Amino acid sequence: MDIRRYDMIVIGAGPAGLSAAIEAAKHGVKPIVFDENARPGGQLFKQIHKFFGSKEHKAKIRGFKIGEELLAEAEKFGVEVVLNATVVGLYPDKEVTVKIGEEIQHFKGDSILVATGASENMVNFKGWTLPGVIGAGAAQTMMNLHHILPGKKVLMLGSGNVGLVVSFQLMQAGCEVVALCDAAPRIGGYGVHAAKVARCGVPFYLSHTIIEAEGDEYVTGVTIGEVGPDWKIIPGTEKHFDVDTICLAVGLSPMSQLLDQAGCQMKDTRGGFVPACDAEGQTSVPGIYAAGDVSGIEEASSAMIEGRISGITIAEYLGFAEKEEKESRISELEAQLDTLRQGMFAPANRGKKIEKTEEGIAISENLLVKGFVSDEEIGRFPGVTKQRKIHPVMECTQNIPCNPCQDACKRGCISIGSNITSLPVVDKEHECIGCGLCVASCSGQAIFLVEEDVEPGYGEVTMPYEFMPLPVVGEKGIACGRDGKAVCDCEVTKVRTSPAFDHTNLLTIKVPNDMLMKARFYRAKKEAAYD
Amino acid sequence: MIDIRQKLEEIGAFEPHADDGLLVCRCEEVTKGEIRKAVHEGIFTIEEMRRYLRNGMGLCQGQTCGRLVKSIMAAELKETPDYVEPASARAPMRPIEMEILGKDQGGAYE
Amino acid sequence: MNKTADVIIIGGGVVGCATAYYLAKSGTKQVIVLEASKSIGHGGSCRNGGGVRQSGRDVRELPYAMYGIQHLWPTLSEELGVDVEYTQKGNLRLGKTQAHLEKLQKLADNAKAVGLGVEMVDAKEVQEICPYLSKDIIGASWCPTDGHANPLTTTLGYYKRSLEMGVSYYTDAKVALLKKVRGKVRQVILTDGTVFEGEHIVLCAGYESRAIARTVGVDLPMTKLIDEMFVTEMQPHMFDIMLGTASADFYGHQAHHGSFVFGSECGYEEVTDMEDPSKLYTNAMTLSASCRAVMDYVPCLKGAKVVRSWCGWLDNAFDGVPFIGDCKDAEGLTVACGFTGHGFGTAPAVGLMLSRIVHGEKTVVDISALAPNRFKPNK
Repeated sequence: MDIRRYDMIVIGAGPAGLSAAIEAAKHGVKPIVFDENARPGGQLFKQIHKFFGSKEHKAKIRGFKIGEELLAEAEKFGVEVVLNATVVGLYPDKEVTVKIGEEIQHFKGDSILVATGASENMVNFKGWTLPGVIGAGAAQTMMNLHHILPGKKVLMLGSGNVGLVVSFQLMQAGCEVVALCDAAPRIGGYGVHAAKVARCGVPFYLSHTIIEAEGDEYVTGVTIGEVGPDWKIIPGTEKHFDVDTICLAVGLSPMSQLLDQAGCQMKDTRGGFVPACDAEGQTSVPGIYAAGDVSGIEEASSAMIEGRISGITIAEYLGFAEKEEKESRISELEAQLDTLRQGMFAPANRGKKIEKTEEGIAISENLLVKGFVSDEEIGRFPGVTKQRKIHPVMECTQNIPCNPCQDACKRGCISIGSNITSLPVVDKEHECIGCGLCVASCSGQAIFLVEEDVEPGYGEVTMPYEFMPLPVVGEKGIACGRDGKAVCDCEVTKVRTSPAFDHTNLLTIKVPNDMLMKARFYRAKKEAAYD
Repeated sequence: MIDIRQKLEEIGAFEPHADDGLLVCRCEEVTKGEIRKAVHEGIFTIEEMRRYLRNGMGLCQGQTCGRLVKSIMAAELKETPDYVEPASARAPMRPIEMEILGKDQGGAYE
Repeated sequence: MNKTADVIIIGGGVVGCATAYYLAKSGTKQVIVLEASKSIGHGGSCRNGGGVRQSGRDVRELPYAMYGIQHLWPTLSEELGVDVEYTQKGNLRLGKTQAHLEKLQKLADNAKAVGLGVEMVDAKEVQEICPYLSKDIIGASWCPTDGHANPLTTTLGYYKRSLEMGVSYYTDAKVALLKKVRGKVRQVILTDGTVFEGEHIVLCAGYESRAIARTVGVDLPMTKLIDEMFVTEMQPHMFDIMLGTASADFYGHQAHHGSFVFGSECGYEEVTDMEDPSKLYTNAMTLSASCRAVMDYVPCLKGAKVVRSWCGWLDNAFDGVPFIGDCKDAEGLTVACGFTGHGFGTAPAVGLMLSRIVHGEKTVVDISALAPNRFKPNK
């Protein structure tokens, strides 16, 4: 039997697998990475939004850029990546069979890292098997990798970050998102992601779920209804929408089957069937490791760090790195990981209702249910100040580990401090020059520049804008509020793009002074309507 | 030890629901009602259920419905979902043609 | 929880469930079945190829194999209220060499001697019976009364029906030992200490029967052997016959829902050294070897996708036929094990016979040749 042997076999060339292979290769390990897809990077290449975190987490960089950086790094360190390579089985003695081309190859590794990621969950409702009912991740793949619109009118089920981010991307791609619903009573994802979607005018239906996907051959409509405390639909609450696509963003399940097959001890958790691992990703089978979503669903940012931790651990396990070297690297990486796992959305807080921010400020109830902070609530957050001169208004109202805005402002107007989850504070002592770098740096698109009295009675609002076509200066349109409803007429006075903004355009509109704290989105006149 | 008879008495008789016709496993066309009814016939594990009704035995090997079947069974058994163990994983991880599987002496890839 | 019964059956496989069913049917009030794992039919009962055949069997097994096919299988789906997919469309045992044909001829002659209709067919007749087979096949034995069934629904069908009829089942109930009371085997003690007590104990726990029987001084000389199978995605309907080969390259059939189910091996089985046999790891070489074996005889299946493979342990008796009957040296204990990889097809008949043995009645056919204490030194 011809069996090829490697120091380290990595299954899955996503963020975790590649990071692990790179980290191990840096210490002289010769890893081979298998991926069943035609291109590496896992889900990174469909992540067109900017990532959260701090500098070491590659915050404010778009996911696909991070993917490109990772590939370049893998090449630099000589990581061998085999694509279109489907792992068939993981057997005792760390043997892997792989379909490569039209045949099966046998490999054995002194170590194996399983980084196979996750798959999308499904829910059942009448008509769920109709064409047009798709996973949100699948919709993202269609749009961002294959440049195909999943549909024209979409209903999104699921208010976690995936549901929110994909809803926004669907609109960027030109789809209409008619509604976003979730059976849970509160929005599951980041408030800033929800606010981005809400100000585009998408209504949120919390405590609502899909009753039926309608259509004979394919989806032509959907009916949702409100769920009561017994999780049953309350009669009379049904709402119908004409749609051609229903997107499901109802969570992910780790693709841990290979680990189960290899005899690793498994744990049945709320987040799925995962291997029992220690902090370095070592499973119950010596030499078999797991990193990334396969060991528990998190973000790509944490998957990359987990991968690096497993990578250095494997390097030491194989004798390529010294114990001290491993320990110091791991403490550095663990500190990064700990940072990402802090704040309101920390794994430890899953399912809990957080009433107050770390600063003791009441969380916006409106945000949790409708997707936007109301005009009455917004003033109580430290990033929101009322000043005459130009200044940033940071509508960042939940404690999440993210701080690029602080670094973006060279004038010192924005302060988060050493605690990365703190809400940004406006430092009135320092003078804002309206450069807009903070606006473009905010992955949550939650920063605006506001200036009163640019001409008598009128001021300007500068907002992040990532839609095509870009409005032109002088264009007259409608300013919309945080709820997406029209608040007043306005005029586009500035449109700024710059490599430093990384495709987040800065759109400045002129509105009456009393609308400066209300206007947060722009629509060309023809498509907006007052109600 | 699980006393099947006692457990059956505890969970009571099968009661039809309005959504019993809902398709759960699309590969093998198994409905929610069939799964719920089988629980009352003594089918308490995913391993047994797959064998009894063929749910999760199709092309996707339960990738889509596994979690759904688990929660339907757990609810019927009046237990939390972790009471019902997932199906064991076996090669091949993806459906592969016999002709390709049959070629495994090829040596090094280029 | 009722821990006493007329009959306690150890092993919730197809034999145990069938025995429970026939006992309940014959009026036995209290029957308890103890299954070590969490699932009924976890062992070989749900891991086999579903053959319901007479051809190729040892003459000591043939009488009850034939009895089951004539009297039990045809009405089983109806009796159990579960479709066991019994299909009686014949069994071809294929040969590619002269040596194969000689072997098949010998088996056929033996079978004929005890009244089984099995004949040799030539290459042309093979193609007429099944046009999907390789042209390299030069002949076969043909038993038109053989067939196959679905082992999964058969096992769970017996379980479901007997449960309805009042049999008590306990799963996750692993037996540690048997205990005699006043000279008679009466108690069954679980690993958690629970004690069950019955007038009769029926032991049908596959290879594990050996360790359990040993606790009352009974040796059942058998070994265990791993065996692997795989199943394809659904295919258009091709044929209903059961296939086997003279040199045991593979066996299998097309199931009612369209999938092909095949069993085969790679030659490594005898030396398999699985640290924890309960993990049931498949072997990295076997699936590919199995595919080659099948394609050698049924080449048109090369494009069929395999969706799953699995393995199970055979309980191989020293002389290739099971131990069935009362243990003369341990009163109260009846055993049925050592089926050596071909127990599924005879399970209904064995279940019926065990129910009769428990009642002290004569079995439907003579099975004295399968006595559990039959081992004798060969020199």
